[in-house]
Amino acid sequence: MNRERCQRYLEDPDAHRDHLAECAACREVFEDLDAKVTGRPVRLEALPLAPWEGAGYRAWPLVTGGALVVVAIAAALFAAAGELREVLPPADLVLSLLRLVGGAAQNAPGSWQIGIVVAFVAVNAVLIALLRRAPRGLDA
Amino acid sequence: MLRRALVMSLAAAALVVAPAGAVSDHYRFGGDAVIDSPVTGSVQVFGGSAYINSVVDGEVLVIGGNVIFSGAGRVTGNVIHGGGRVMGGENRVAGRIYPLATIEGAAASLARSAAVVALLLLWLAAAVVLTLAAGREIRFSSVEVRASALYCFAVGLVAVTSFVLTAIVFSYLIPYLAGGPLLAALAAFAILTKVYGMVAVFHAVGSLVAGAKTREQLASRKWLRGDLAMVVIGLLILGALRMIPFAGAVIWSAASIFGVGAALATKFGRREPWFLAWRPAEA
Repeated sequence: MNRERCQRYLEDPDAHRDHLAECAACREVFEDLDAKVTGRPVRLEALPLAPWEGAGYRAWPLVTGGALVVVAIAAALFAAAGELREVLPPADLVLSLLRLVGGAAQNAPGSWQIGIVVAFVAVNAVLIALLRRAPRGLDA
Repeated sequence: MLRRALVMSLAAAALVVAPAGAVSDHYRFGGDAVIDSPVTGSVQVFGGSAYINSVVDGEVLVIGGNVIFSGAGRVTGNVIHGGGRVMGGENRVAGRIYPLATIEGAAASLARSAAVVALLLLWLAAAVVLTLAAGREIRFSSVEVRASALYCFAVGLVAVTSFVLTAIVFSYLIPYLAGGPLLAALAAFAILTKVYGMVAVFHAVGSLVAGAKTREQLASRKWLRGDLAMVVIGLLILGALRMIPFAGAVIWSAASIFGVGAALATKFGRREPWFLAWRPAEA
């Protein structure tokens, strides 16, 4: 067995076909690999259902039906409830809250501001560390 | 939770339009504020109560404490409070008294339910458009939610916290003009992440509940198959759960966190790494 020739064969099998005839180790490995790939029958129907199978179908009747159900429920509730003023936050309240809370961060005590910066760095470091992991979902 | 985070982000963004007179605002962190002399501007107390014994010519915001009026105490603007009560405020507030609970939606009511259902229609439209435009990406994120639920939740939780903290840090840059665009970009990214992630969660829930398990099942179905159907089924299920008082809000918030996590974990279903790992070249 010549490691250099084996390496060259691995890099370009077509250009170094003769190598298989002279190297028993490579022959054994590749015969085994070929046997595993070609020798085993594949029963497609026995494979688990893949997420993409049938995924392209567009169920418009279901979408339309779902939308109509939601519209009907919303209309019935609106009719029963009367008006919405009591439940939706008034615009002036939202604006007041935004303006008031918006100024609070810059006027917080020094210890709070240091805490915010430390938390900002720590949380974003954890986020970056978490996002380094590759997705593990099956082939979609 | 996510709504609160977005409100905080938007609150920071609101600094862009804050009036120049905000310098007279009074702040108190981690303690009570006692107003014994007239104040021009707002009074804000975080983690304490406000004792209003004189005139506040502005608004009062108290988080984590009570608002207590006595003597000549009165407020010319609104009183916004959360985590406490207003005592003795009758006829002393020129504006309105708003408990933050109305924003959080803790109290269930018929009108609130109607608003929630109406919002579901918007979600349905967004879900249909997004699924038609990027069905494969949505499906991949949905698979990730089901395959790595805990990981998605962890990423979502950290990401939401990161959005809030980043918004606060960006608000410091407002005086240098860079803060406004940065905050707007952050808000846009957060909303996009939330919407995409929620649609992926709809798909995941729909697939878990109504997805075909075998090819025979799939072949026998007329309408109940495909990405669009799974998204609609998931939306209707989560929407129905959303109607449950208190628990519905918790479930929806948890779904949002899962969604944000799935969106970021899969890079919006693109299966590309956010950060390339550096390795030295091998000889």
